[in-house]
Amino acid sequence: MTKVRRFMEAGLERTFLACALLSIASVALMTVFIFRQGLPLFAKVSLPDFLLSTDWFPSRDPNPGYGILSFIVGSVFVTVMSLAISVPVGISTGIFLAEMAGRRFGPFLRAAVELLAGIPSVIYGLFGIAVIVPLVRMIPGGNGYSALSSSIVLAIMVLPTIINMTEVSVRSVPNELREGSLALGATRWQTISGVLVPAARSGIVTGVVLGMGRALGETMAVLLVGGNAPIMPAGPLSMVRTLTMNVITDMAYAEGTHLTALFATAIVLFVFILALNVFIQVALKRAVKESTR
Amino acid sequence: MKKNLMLAATLVCGCALLAAETYTFGGSTTVQPIANVAIEKFTASKPDVRISYEGVGSGTGLKQLSEGTLTLAGSSRDLKKSELDAGLVPVAIASDALTVVVNKDVRVANLTKDQLAGIYSGTIVNWNEVGGKDEKIEVVNRDETSGTFGAFKELVLDPKKIAFTKNAIVAKENGEVAAKVASTPGAIGYVGLGFVEEITKAGGKALAIDGVDPSVKTTLDGSYPLSRKLYMVTKGPAKAKSIEKAFIDYVLSARGKVIIKEAGFIPLK
Repeated sequence: MTKVRRFMEAGLERTFLACALLSIASVALMTVFIFRQGLPLFAKVSLPDFLLSTDWFPSRDPNPGYGILSFIVGSVFVTVMSLAISVPVGISTGIFLAEMAGRRFGPFLRAAVELLAGIPSVIYGLFGIAVIVPLVRMIPGGNGYSALSSSIVLAIMVLPTIINMTEVSVRSVPNELREGSLALGATRWQTISGVLVPAARSGIVTGVVLGMGRALGETMAVLLVGGNAPIMPAGPLSMVRTLTMNVITDMAYAEGTHLTALFATAIVLFVFILALNVFIQVALKRAVKESTR
Repeated sequence: MKKNLMLAATLVCGCALLAAETYTFGGSTTVQPIANVAIEKFTASKPDVRISYEGVGSGTGLKQLSEGTLTLAGSSRDLKKSELDAGLVPVAIASDALTVVVNKDVRVANLTKDQLAGIYSGTIVNWNEVGGKDEKIEVVNRDETSGTFGAFKELVLDPKKIAFTKNAIVAKENGEVAAKVASTPGAIGYVGLGFVEEITKAGGKALAIDGVDPSVKTTLDGSYPLSRKLYMVTKGPAKAKSIEKAFIDYVLSARGKVIIKEAGFIPLK
């Protein structure tokens, strides 16, 4: 009997291990695939020409242009702008949910935030076309398809991530700290800004970085509202093309060096996301250390 | 018992699949609406023939045809010399007019081909330069790899040896052009004649070019400046009695012409 049991245990362990390896293998395969498809570009286009030129015109014959600087700048610009909107709103909402929302309103608000997280990105894009683009065209001006419109849509998309992470980490601040602060005569605002937020900062930062990752990687929603012109964005009202948009725009039909250049664009995006993930790991480790101190 | 039944059903279906001859056609997305309907009607009387059409674009389709992945390709542009040299044989099946469309607030009804080239190369940026009101022109362009982009470039920009402006909204589909032109004030875009309805429904309008309105008649008689032909292409002349030959004949038949018309294109006489 014990033999059978031991055998079962070992079998289960192996199965679980196989599952774990499967996900590692997927990541490894994807990395190898993207790099194998993209790296041959540098036999034809030099790295500086690719990363530091704004001339993107792969179908020009002769002298096609493969510079993606505009799209790197576009991605960073749109991501930073969307965070400038979503971070203050998201952190405030998270704190409100953790500290102030009552038994009735809290669950309602939480359900709404969760719903927001579950909406497919193409719906955000359509909402952007129908509402945000005309609004941007009407109020600040331009044709409406702009970095600003993209940032607003992205800001709404990353809100749930930031809200949830903030709420969870503020909630997990030990109650003694809260009570201690109030007992010392601090007001609620002083408690929040002086005690809770600093104590929860690692979790909050992680939420922001996770949101940044989502904004950087989002494709469909920005494709519909960004305008997709392959130009260097000149300001918030300028049209924009991000790295993800560049990959998706021509992917269906591209061939030869053009296709390779799209994979190389994906490598750049991949490296960006990888860097962000490393940052998250470090931040999480710090968070764990702090909470066990 | 239930399991056995299901097994039997799977086997039967499997055999049917095995027995069927399968063909993969593909290429231009412009040709796709014609091809899809034609395939459906063509195979209706041939239960053991299965044909699929992959909308991968003219260039990729022709490449896959010469590689042998496809046995018939649709193309919305003339074949390049290299493609003809590789033994590809085009058969013209229909005409299409590239139609220039504008948002409903644009007061211009006609553009010359030169003005159009000026707008798309970025030297003309305001509607008042071409007889309209003082309003910025919002150019809507297609993605670089689409057949429609290629056709517009060949018909409008290449004769003057100029390049597209980059300061243009880039749309991935005819439908997206229609949506963006219809919803953006001052916008101009180009689509296949078959998509004009989408724009007029949304309140936009089609422009005359060099004083000629885009229509079936002006396209066929060649007076409309922005017209092009659609092709079915095979590697080497389609063999007699082959399914590809039968399919091309079907598309060129009276029934095929009805399908072409219904898809919004113009059958050849």
